[in-house]
Parts: sequence; structure tokens; C-alpha cells
Amino acid sequence: MEDRHRMHNFRSNTLPAIVMVGPVTLFMVLLVAVPLIYVAVMSFCSIDDNYNVVFQFTWKNYVRLANADYMKIYGQSLLIALITTVLSLLIGYPFAYIISRSDSRWKKLLYMLVIIPFWTNSLIRIYGWRTFLGSNGWLNTALQALHIVKEPVEFLFQRGTTVLGMVYCLIPFMILPLYTAIEKVDGSLLEASSDLGARRIITFFRIVIPLTASGIFSGCLMVFIPCLGYFFVSEILGGGNSDVIGNLIERQFQSGNNWPLGAALSIILIVVTLVLVKLFQKAGGNMEDLGM
Amino acid sequence: MRMKRRKRTVLTRIRDVLFCAIIYLFLFLPISVIVVNSMNATTSKPYLAWKGFTLAWYVRLFDNTELLGSFRNTMIIAVVSTLLSTIIGTMGAVGMYKYKFKGKSIIDGLLYIPVVIPEIVLGISLLTIFSKVNIPRGMLTLILAHVTFSIPFVIFNVRARLAGYDNSIDEASMDLGANRIQTFFHVTLPVLAPGIAGGALLAFTLSIDDIIISYFVNGQVKTYPLRVMESIKSGVAPDVNALSTLILIATIVFVVLTQSGILNKNKKR
Amino acid sequence: MRKRKIWSVLLSVLLTAGLISGCGSNTGEDGAGSSGKTTINFFCWTEYMPQEVLDKFEDETGIHVNMSTYSSNEDMLAKVKSEVEGTYDVIVPSDYMIEQMASQGMLEELDHDALPNMSNIGSAYLSPSYDPGNRYSVPYQGGVAAIAVDTSKVNVDITSYDDLFDPALKGSIVALDDYRAVIGLTARSMGYSMNETNPDTLAEIEAKLLTLKDNIKLYDSDSPKSALISGDCTIGFCWGAEIALTMDEDSNYKIVYPSEGAYLFMDNLAIPKGSTHYDEAMQFINFILDPENSKMISEEFPYLNPNVKAIELLGDEFAGNEAKNPPQEVIAAGEYVTNLDPDTIAIYDEMWTKLKQ
Repeated sequence: MEDRHRMHNFRSNTLPAIVMVGPVTLFMVLLVAVPLIYVAVMSFCSIDDNYNVVFQFTWKNYVRLANADYMKIYGQSLLIALITTVLSLLIGYPFAYIISRSDSRWKKLLYMLVIIPFWTNSLIRIYGWRTFLGSNGWLNTALQALHIVKEPVEFLFQRGTTVLGMVYCLIPFMILPLYTAIEKVDGSLLEASSDLGARRIITFFRIVIPLTASGIFSGCLMVFIPCLGYFFVSEILGGGNSDVIGNLIERQFQSGNNWPLGAALSIILIVVTLVLVKLFQKAGGNMEDLGM
Repeated sequence: MRMKRRKRTVLTRIRDVLFCAIIYLFLFLPISVIVVNSMNATTSKPYLAWKGFTLAWYVRLFDNTELLGSFRNTMIIAVVSTLLSTIIGTMGAVGMYKYKFKGKSIIDGLLYIPVVIPEIVLGISLLTIFSKVNIPRGMLTLILAHVTFSIPFVIFNVRARLAGYDNSIDEASMDLGANRIQTFFHVTLPVLAPGIAGGALLAFTLSIDDIIISYFVNGQVKTYPLRVMESIKSGVAPDVNALSTLILIATIVFVVLTQSGILNKNKKR
Repeated sequence: MRKRKIWSVLLSVLLTAGLISGCGSNTGEDGAGSSGKTTINFFCWTEYMPQEVLDKFEDETGIHVNMSTYSSNEDMLAKVKSEVEGTYDVIVPSDYMIEQMASQGMLEELDHDALPNMSNIGSAYLSPSYDPGNRYSVPYQGGVAAIAVDTSKVNVDITSYDDLFDPALKGSIVALDDYRAVIGLTARSMGYSMNETNPDTLAEIEAKLLTLKDNIKLYDSDSPKSALISGDCTIGFCWGAEIALTMDEDSNYKIVYPSEGAYLFMDNLAIPKGSTHYDEAMQFINFILDPENSKMISEEFPYLNPNVKAIELLGDEFAGNEAKNPPQEVIAAGEYVTNLDPDTIAIYDEMWTKLKQ
């Protein structure tokens, strides 16, 4: 019996392992690893007079990207991402807290109401904001009709509008992990501590925040990183005045016709991402939480 | 003392409800713009000025073969890539859980990349490689790309179920005479089902709304989000709004049906 | 029991998806559509070709035209280069881009025998310097990048590109999202050429260019008229027909041709190398050169039309409209963009990055 069992394992583990893991390995190697390595190689190439990529080693792209003007855009992009993350957290936390602590009859519904908007195309929703905020949009029309303002207020095409669009697009990625984390916290724990006379605020910071830290970390990561690349938000709502790193990359692969430069920008973005992920892990975040 | 406390709870409740209402308003405001604009009688670009109420766009929508075709493409891509990524992801998750092999940690690491990396980086890297090996961009490349970014989400969801999975059940099954394939379908799979379904739903959701990655690998095939992107350039026509409204209604009906229990009559059994 | 529920949910999602996707009839895919029709891929500027014209072509010939759009010549070039050769059948590059693509062997030679309608094009537009003998291209539409002004809201008198730099115009301009056009505008406002290559001159231009930053509210090459009509911007630096269309919608707008001489362009129909439907593409080009069809295009997108027979059909209203049919002296005073070397392009690119940061 023992023998048969061992034989069984020995004889046939290789084939099943290949069958099961083979396809995923193929996809991850051929469509993730190889392309990224290729991009890394390309970032050290240059272009000829006809915009074709020339495979000859050069630092030129990185030197170009180290100049102060590009630095300003990285700074702007990081700033937009930071403000977006902080705003999403400040809005998302109390919101997730309230819905996860609400009556169980309502909870499901309230949760679904967060998700439903995101099954409508995100571009058209962003464009909805543009219609709403325009000089003759709903908001300005209302403000003028109520005699709050005389002249239309300029809401569109500013950095703030880009941040608004980013928060709008990314806030579910903050709310959902927070909701999961807060839901796990035992309700009686909170009641016990407040019955013992602990002030609510103290309870909140001493107990609730640490217990939900994992949700906070993954929410922040899942908002901050995409923010660096969402070029269409800054294009539609920022009017091209508040570019993020994503816009720079997109431009080099389209009108700029300089793929190596775009590749180098992508590598910079990857490095930024890696640093953030390391910070996330240092802070005690669990990578598996990100994909849920 | 008690009175005071009750008063405070009422007040906090009102505050909470108000706060949530504002957030929901924020979430649904652009959607109301879409719904209203789908009933705008305007026919001149950029379709912003209100020219009266009409439902004509809901009819004209069905003459717009380009728009419907793009929606069809999106659905085909979403269904195919969901099926593929669910199958590949589930097998991968189970395989990686059960077997030890060289390079496992590398694949593990690679799986995180599509999840954390900004989509644009994945998009341009796929573009450069497809361009390098000269694969024509189109349905095939779109599906490949969508499967690639969906697989990790399926795997992580399945893995969450596997965490509590006892390998000895499989051994017991095989000792009782079942072969590997029978064991997989009758023993392993049912335990993992919720994780698989969750992963599949996520893959489907990500696929239908993907813009950035599709933007770089679509070739001549237009998905619905890319068609919207094109129409945004010259002002979104009311028929695009009408289609979005129909999709929204379908979504809501679907959610209501699943939540209200019509689809789960077996609950009590 | 929970899992049963989830499976049924999932199944119904897939079924609904399958049902809905059965509704669309046209895939817009490469090659043959669902009905076995030949499809040609037409790559065109946004807001430049009415869908009705393509539908008419399909009705007459049975050839389906799948149109994709781009916002600049450089966008088009990038896409054509990155796709597999033979993906696109007809493209619409501007003057300088025809020259560049022809020199790289990216264009097919045109068979003039298959283009009898070429006789409708005015002789002044034939055999241009960028394509002698029209070996690779046929003029489609052209014009100038001019200035649109909302006279009811703008108090500054605007007659030149230079006037756009007036600090009083802060946050009111919608400008083309096109680096050659915006840098070209700055150069012309200083009396320089749009094709300067001297680094010192370019440094001067850059200094002035950056003062334009605060005045530009929005960059949009695709449909700047949207922002003008909606009132989000009151001044536009955009393609002629966009201004003409704005004036049709809102009579407060007027067109200003800059006193320095404007940015000129002529867009052309061409067939990229390796097109898999060369004959159908030629048929399509010939169809567009037909005066009736050309008239349809001009009615929707009123650019400078080199098709003199179409101008006759369009009548005096069109021919006499200053915005739709720019006067000869405007054309004579203008300047075309030419190709630059990569080092100069890199400087232009840097200037553009600085402006947009």
C-alpha cells in the first residue's frame, strides 16, 4: 500500500504539473516577462532619421529624462497621485465604515450601489463630468440661476479637475478593500472599549485603524499607482494642462514616434512602482490582498 | 444620561446617512448626465445644448452598426478571455498549490506584475512585442492581452479558497480508485467554486471596461470603450449615451434579480 | 448552496453577454465582414470624413470602409509603422508627411489610369512640391490654422498670431494639440519660419512660447469647435473648417487670418506600402474625387477644397464664405511645415514638453 502510493506520486507528478501550470507559465513568461525585458532593452536604444528603433547601446534616453522639465512632470504626477490617494482615503474610510456597520438588510444593497456605476463605461462617465462642469454645464447653469455667481466659474481643465476625475475613477479600489477589512473587525470589540469609557476617537485610532491597516495599505497602493498612468483622465478633464507620467509615455508611442524614450519612461514608472510595493510590504501589506 | 446617549445616536445616524448620500450622489452624478443626454433631441455637435426630450436615439441606436459592432466585439472578447483566464488560472492555482517545481517562485512573482504595474506599461510592452514579432493586431491580440491581465486575479481568488484545502482529501479519493481527472472534477473543483466564480466575475468586469491596454493592441478592431473614446473626440452623440443607459439598466436588473433571490431558489435546500 | 448560486449568476452573465453580442451585425474586423464583403481600412483625421459618404460608397460598390481616426500626422505615422505592413489601405497625410513617407518608401505609387476623376482637381493644386507629378498622392482638403474669436466676450482686438500672447487672454484659448502648429505659430509671431532649425533661434522661440502657457486653457486637435460652442473657451487656434462650423452654430464668432501669414496645410489621399486591397483603395480615392461626393464632404467639413468641380456645385455661398474657402491672398502669405532632422525634432519635443507640463 505504502509502496503503491509512493509509486503513484513518483510516476505521474511531472506530467500533471506541466499540464496544470504550463499554460499560466507560458502566458506569464511570453506576455509579461519577455515584453518587459524587451522594453528594458529598448530603453537603451535610439532612433534613426526615420524614427526606426536602432539597437545600439546608449544612455541618451535616461539623460534626457533626467532634466528638470521632466522632473517637474514626475513631481506633478506624484503630487496628483498623492492628493488623489489622500482624498480617496479620507472620503472612502468613513464611507466604508458606515456601510460595513450598517443594518444587514441594507448592507448588500449599499455595497452593490458602489459597484454599479463601475459597470458603465468609465470614459463616458468622465465625459459626464465634463458636461456637468463646463462653462454652460449643469453646475454653472444652476449657480447662475440661483444668482450665486454672475459669470460662469471655470471648473474645467485644471489640475483640480484631473484630481476629481482620478478620485472618481479610483475610489472603489479604496472603498472595497477597506470595506472587507472593516467588516472583519469584531463589532463587540468596539462596543466593549467604548463601554469601558474610552473616548470614541481614541477607540478609533487605537483599535480600529490598526486592525484595518491591511485594507488601508492595499487601498492606497491600488489608488496611487494607477493614478500615475491614467492618461485619459488628464486628457479629458485636465485639457492637457496637468499631464501625468502616463501622458508622457503615450505621447512617445504615438505622436512622438520615439519608442526608446517612451520605453525609458516606462522603466522609470516601473521603478517607482517597485519602490511603492516594497514600502507596502515593509508596512506589512499582503500582496495577495491586491488581487481580490 | 440615557436620553443624552440616544440623542447622540440619532444625530450620528443622520450625519452618517447624509454623508453616504453625498458620496452616492458623487458616484451617480455623471451617470445621470449620461441618462439625461441620451434623451436630448439635439442633432448638432457637440450635442451639449438641450434641445428637448426625445426617445428617438434609442431607436436610431440600432441603425448604428459601427457602435453595435464595437459592443459585440467587447462582449466576444470579454466572454472568451473570461473563459480562458478562468480555466488557465484555476489550473495554475491548483497546480502551483499541489506540486513543487523549479522556477515556481519566479512565476509567482510574475503574477503580481499585471496587478500592480500601471496598465499603460503592460499596454506598451505588449505593443512593442507584438510589433517586433509582427503579429497582426486585432481580436487575437486583444484576447491575449485580456487573458494576460485577468489570469492573476483568477489565481489569487482561487488561492484564497485553496488556503484551507486539505490535500489528503485528494489522496483519499485516489485511494478509493478515482483517477486524477475524476478527483479534480469531483473533489477539488467543487471546493474551489466560489473562488473561481469570484475570479471570473472580476475578469469579466476588467475586460469589458478596459481602455488603456486595448488602446495599444487593438489594431483595426474597435471595442466599445475605444469607440467611446473616439466619439469623445468630437462630442459624445446621444446614441452612445443611449447604449450606455441600456447597459446600465441591464446591470441594475441583473443585480436586483441576483440579490432578491429569484436566481437562488435553492437557498433553503 | 452558496456555490450553486454563484454558478447560476455566472452562467446568466455569460448567457446575457452572448445574447447581447448577437445583436451587432458588423464586426469591423480586418478583411471580410460577417456578410463576406471586402473591407478596406481607411485611416483619417478626426472630423474629416462623413460616415454617409462611406455608406454611399458601400451601397455603390459593395466595399465596406472601416474608418479609424487620428489627431496628428505623427500619430498616423506611429500607427502605420507599428502595425503589420498592409494593414491600412488609404491614409490622409499632410504635405510634409507625404514627402517623408514617400522618401522612406512607405507609399504605393498611384495608377493614374484608375483615377479619371483627378481631372476635377484644380491645376493649381496638382503636382505640388512635396510630391511632383502626384506619384503618391492626390490632394483631398486643406486650409489654414487660423484664429476664432468670440466677439461678444473678447475685448482685445485680435489680428495676428502675436495678439494671442496678450496676458489679457489668460485661460481662454483652445489650441491645436499639435507641436508643429503651436511652435510654428510662435515662430511666425516673431517673424521666423515655422521650420527654424538654428538652436539659438529656437531658444528665443521657446522663451516666447512659454508665455503662451497661461493663455491656453485646452489642447484639442480633434474637435476644438466643441469647446468654442460650449463656451468653455472664447478663442481658438484651430483648423479653418472647425472655425467655419463654429460660426455656423454661433454667430458671435468670427475668423481672423493672422497678419503674419498663417500655417498652411494640404492633406492628401495616399495608399501605404503593402496595402492588400490596392484596387479597392484606388476605387475609393476615385470615388472621393467625384464632384458630388466631394460636395457632400465639404458640406459637412468645409475645408479648402481643391476639387474645382465640387466648388462649382457648392455654389457662391460656399465659394464666397471667407472661413470655408480662404481667400487667395491668405494662401499666398502662408507657410507650409517641412520635415526636420531628428536633432531639431528633439528640441521641438522638449519645447512642447515644457509647454505642457
